[in-house]
Amino acid sequence: MDFSVLLVEDDEHIRQALGLALGDEGFTVTDAVSGEEALDLLAVAEPDVVLLDLMLPGVDGLEVCRTLRARGDLPIIIVTARTDASDVIAGLEAGADDYVTKPLMASVLAARIRALLRRRGTGRHDEVLKAGGLEIRPDVGSVHRAGVEVHLTRTEFRLLVELASASGRIVTREQLLQRVWGYDYFGDTRLLDVHIRRLRRKVEPNPDEPALVLTVRGAGYRLDVDG
Amino acid sequence: MTRVHRFSLRWRVAMVLGLGSLLLTSAVAVVVWNLASGYMLRQREQSAVRQAQVNVRLVDEALRTGSDGLDELLTGLTAGPDTTILLFRPGQVLTSGRQVDPDQLPRKLLDLGRDGIPAGQRLIVSGIPVYAVTLPIAHAEGAYVEMAPMVQLDRTFRFLSAVLVAATVASGLLGVALGSWAGRRALRPLTQLTKAASLIAGGDLRARLPEQTDPDLTPLATTFNSTADALEQRVLRDARFAGDVSHELRSPLTTMVNAAEVLRRRRAEIPGTAGKAVDLLTSEVDRFARMVVDLLEISRTDQQVDDPTPESIDLAELVTNVITTRPGAQVPLEVDEPPPHVLGDRRRLDRVVSNLLDNADRHAGGAVRVAVLRRDGRARLEVDDAGPGVPPDLRTRVFERFDRGTRAGSRGTDTGSGLGLALVAQHVQRHGGTVRIEERPGGGARFIVEIPEAER
Repeated sequence: MDFSVLLVEDDEHIRQALGLALGDEGFTVTDAVSGEEALDLLAVAEPDVVLLDLMLPGVDGLEVCRTLRARGDLPIIIVTARTDASDVIAGLEAGADDYVTKPLMASVLAARIRALLRRRGTGRHDEVLKAGGLEIRPDVGSVHRAGVEVHLTRTEFRLLVELASASGRIVTREQLLQRVWGYDYFGDTRLLDVHIRRLRRKVEPNPDEPALVLTVRGAGYRLDVDG
Repeated sequence: MTRVHRFSLRWRVAMVLGLGSLLLTSAVAVVVWNLASGYMLRQREQSAVRQAQVNVRLVDEALRTGSDGLDELLTGLTAGPDTTILLFRPGQVLTSGRQVDPDQLPRKLLDLGRDGIPAGQRLIVSGIPVYAVTLPIAHAEGAYVEMAPMVQLDRTFRFLSAVLVAATVASGLLGVALGSWAGRRALRPLTQLTKAASLIAGGDLRARLPEQTDPDLTPLATTFNSTADALEQRVLRDARFAGDVSHELRSPLTTMVNAAEVLRRRRAEIPGTAGKAVDLLTSEVDRFARMVVDLLEISRTDQQVDDPTPESIDLAELVTNVITTRPGAQVPLEVDEPPPHVLGDRRRLDRVVSNLLDNADRHAGGAVRVAVLRRDGRARLEVDDAGPGVPPDLRTRVFERFDRGTRAGSRGTDTGSGLGLALVAQHVQRHGGTVRIEERPGGGARFIVEIPEAER
């Protein structure tokens, strides 16, 4: 299956090499040199996924990420040379679904893109999951609280479904990382931490004192179904 | 040579002040005691002597006139219940007042009286302190003895001494308390300094000393703060530099590894010598990329920045996870129940486990057993291989950076970055643990990582 990718990267060599390698992996690659160009392109045509460098001249990656998130839930993978926790977290907080650090191989990136896009059609079952006043419909990908739709990104939604499907049991961090991000994850906890935080902001009445998405110290997370 | 004091500076100040105060007050107390007690004693003795002199004149008069009322006179002369008058006459002793056995009186005193020499002496008679005055009788033979009680004076002395001792002790204690308080007050800036310094040592580079109002302390605060400023600047600069280096190295590497991937995929299109060169290039690019990433990681660990808050991690689960996500045959895993938890950073521990497994793959044909055990409050990870083993003299060296090739059977096409075990050592050390190599029973090497167990 051919996916279309928008590669936003200011370094010309990287853009070319990554473009060639991703093309070999079977993706249709469009590229943009700057944040402005990326936003212009996205206004015209929407790719399946955006690969976004954080350090861009002009409108930087974080800004692009926030703008795209405000527009919708287009999947975004951050491609960064900065490995500091603060940069990664800022990117994820800005709404990215995943991140990879340079130097990355196109094959690894391809696996991640496929995993991310597989999350798209989550129509595994047409039952309605209920937890803590939330009504989750995996078949249509919607979450309602008291009749009002709660808007989640795909990754947040998938995370919530995984937790809700466990019907109150603990789901370990590793299980979540594998099931939601879909690949063998190399122990980085920031990705999950930030997504849990983002999810809580959207579904918890008081995100500072979570009553629904509970942390089980040393084990993982648990959805308080009765709460 | 520095001498290590058993007591803190504050306590030493307190004790010196306490001791000084104790010495001064006790000296004053001794002087006061001597002056006061001497004076009062002299006063009392003089008044006793005067009284006795008056009395003895009356007795003498009575004896001279041969009056019969001697007994009544003696009774009349005894001033109080504790006063005793003894009149020694040849073959007769007249007593009046408090009854006292004449034998209790010192012979010498009586002899002096009989010989016509007036004398006085402090005595304790029947449990009461008295001043005995003996006076000659002018017109008859014998001696007159009058014993004036000193109970009142004795009580006063006792009270005075109690007051003086109490005052001395109190002043010593007050000295200690004052010294302790003054010491603490004087050392307060030092406490602040210690706090600020330990904050900085703990990574908070923005910690500073507050402005000091005391001119003695201003230079210290200024020096400390400017040192801290310089340190902060330097650390920020270093971090920025490391970030720049990281970025500058990672960018071309990204181009290189992806270009290499394209080349590898299209290897068939490049025949002959050029093809061989491409093979060499692509494999070296991969190794180079791994090395740079490891190098960046090791330098990042050196800098001690970028640490997530430690969390409690089930080591068995973490190891299981690493093993199951690795390609190839599963290594048998042995786990103690309940499995040990450690406090730390998941990513680094993942790295430790997978680097040890990589190492076994690379040098010993793969791990044959992995164990997660608990030993005396420490979590213990064992990775066994059935390879050639590591000679004892290399067992610490292999954990040094870029130490490789010294082990048998290495240096194939897939050599590591030369930093894998160094990273293991560094990450383990950061978790307060140790890593070492032993001989595996039955041949091969056993890598042992021990990390303190977390409280549950």
